[in-house]
Amino acid sequence: MTGRWISRLLGLHSWAVYVFFYAPIAVLVFLSFNDNRLVTVWTGASLRWYREMLENDQVLSAIRNSLIVAGVSTIVSVVLGTAAALGLERFRWRGRRIFDGLLYLPIIIPDVTMAVMMLLFFVQVFGLVELAFGPKIGLGLATISLSHVAFNISFVAVVVRARLAGLDPALEEAAADLYADRRQAFLHVTLPLIMPGVLGGALLALTLSLDDVVITSFVSGPGSTTLPVYVFGLVKRGVTPLINAVSTVMLVASMLLVFVSLIFQRGDGKVPQGTRQ
Amino acid sequence: MVLSGVTKRFGDVTAVDGMNLEIRDGEFFSLLGPSGCGKTTTLRMIAGFEYPTEGSVRIQGREMGLEPPNRRPVNTVFQSYALFPHMTVAENVGFGLKMRGVGRSEIAERVARALDQVQLAHRSDARPSQLSGGQQQRVALARALVNEPAVLLLDEPLGALDLKLRQAMQVELKELQERVGITFVYVTHDQEEALTMSDRIGVMNEGRLLQVGEPEAIYERPTSRFVADFIGHINLVTAECAGSGMVRIGDGAEVAVPGVQGAGGKVTIALRPERLHLTAPDADIPAGANRLRGVVRRRVYHGDGFTYEVAVAGTVLEVRTENTPGLVRYEAGSDICVYWDPSAANLVED
Repeated sequence: MTGRWISRLLGLHSWAVYVFFYAPIAVLVFLSFNDNRLVTVWTGASLRWYREMLENDQVLSAIRNSLIVAGVSTIVSVVLGTAAALGLERFRWRGRRIFDGLLYLPIIIPDVTMAVMMLLFFVQVFGLVELAFGPKIGLGLATISLSHVAFNISFVAVVVRARLAGLDPALEEAAADLYADRRQAFLHVTLPLIMPGVLGGALLALTLSLDDVVITSFVSGPGSTTLPVYVFGLVKRGVTPLINAVSTVMLVASMLLVFVSLIFQRGDGKVPQGTRQ
Repeated sequence: MVLSGVTKRFGDVTAVDGMNLEIRDGEFFSLLGPSGCGKTTTLRMIAGFEYPTEGSVRIQGREMGLEPPNRRPVNTVFQSYALFPHMTVAENVGFGLKMRGVGRSEIAERVARALDQVQLAHRSDARPSQLSGGQQQRVALARALVNEPAVLLLDEPLGALDLKLRQAMQVELKELQERVGITFVYVTHDQEEALTMSDRIGVMNEGRLLQVGEPEAIYERPTSRFVADFIGHINLVTAECAGSGMVRIGDGAEVAVPGVQGAGGKVTIALRPERLHLTAPDADIPAGANRLRGVVRRRVYHGDGFTYEVAVAGTVLEVRTENTPGLVRYEAGSDICVYWDPSAANLVED
């Protein structure tokens, strides 16, 4: 066994890993252009399933729902998550440590548990509201968005905190020293410097929200199906090439998200953390 | 600026303890002390980053109370410089003016002048990360001075620079301060820095201000053992009073120390090594000088001088001689005489 052999084996190994990663994606994308109704029988290239997807009201409504839920939950959780990160990183207060631990709970809790919890919670609260005030509230986009906010806050807070922890506290003091009030110091100094973290957290939240099946399917109501839940439903009735087309669209969308996030974070390395001693 | 009865406690720890201090307008004042002595906390209370637990801080006759930093007529040069990394040099320097709502053209003009003052006009579009440590330091200075504060606070601003640059900056800072005429409050643990730059120095230890005075007074006439010991090298000798103007040291040898009264009490006398002289055991010495016979224990070469450890009268004295031409060197073990003028000795409190 020489070094040359070892490096050849390693090369082979990495090829194997990449094939394992990307072959399924290639198969999916390739078959989404298949003309045949049977998924695995190739008869010719066509955009038939994409056309069908765009003419399918259920798919379009699912895409619309997904975008609404992802948009709302991302905006809300970015604001709350960033606030939580600032509170935990910059201020000392009673119970901070407990909150610190509790904040990460949604990351650890299994999806199914979280889903059951959320469902129970909504049913109980809505029951009480009905009992006390009369109106009957059902599950829908609002409950899905709320549930997504519930887990996204933690992820945003983790990402933003990492960024804040690397920031010299003297920078904020310097802003205050130079006549900035709290609002100005935040807008002109803190926010621009943690922006890569905030955007990273936002994209993470967006991706997680667009991806979620388990929690969403528990707390969704009639007419509030999101795209991944719809795809999951289709599979149960047998794989059709329509799924391939929808999945390919989701794949391209999430790759675009990652691409955008990389553009945002580029130049990040050029922003130093101030010289710390 | 007046600090009266300023105390700061963090939980059980008293960081600054009952500090009274008056700093004159246009003065270069240094707070000197070892790390953890409370000097930075004092500075932070003047800046408004911390509030005193007790006591008052007044600047230009105005009580600061709980005024936040942005409403105080002071600016700070931070130890880490704390330049905003996402802004250019000019934007950094103009930040304070922008926050105070100064017009755009006036900002540009004053920023240009401030950068000119620190010789960085040509780097106004650079980012802080593209500058050297010394340049960053100057930007931090310009960023504070451009606001024409009543008091400029500097927290060990030269700490991160190498020795040569630090010495050059010491001169530059002092010149700058004289030119702009702004009161500087300078926090440092470096005694040389404090001695060379300051109009007056306040020496701190364990939260207390021990002595305030001009550099020469602090060095020549320290009032406490800590101040004497912290600044420069010094011989601290425990002695017993032996009547007016005389003390008895070690094995009973009597020497003259001005200011001693009574007999029997214990005192500590402080003697700077460079104020002691060596000569042959039976050589003539100036009239009125104290003289002690002893033996050279060790000689250390410093390049610009020698330090001798001399055993005399049951104690050991450090003696410093300059490396002048024709200097007589004494070998370890040789008999010797140490003499000094009585006025060189100083009584200090323990």
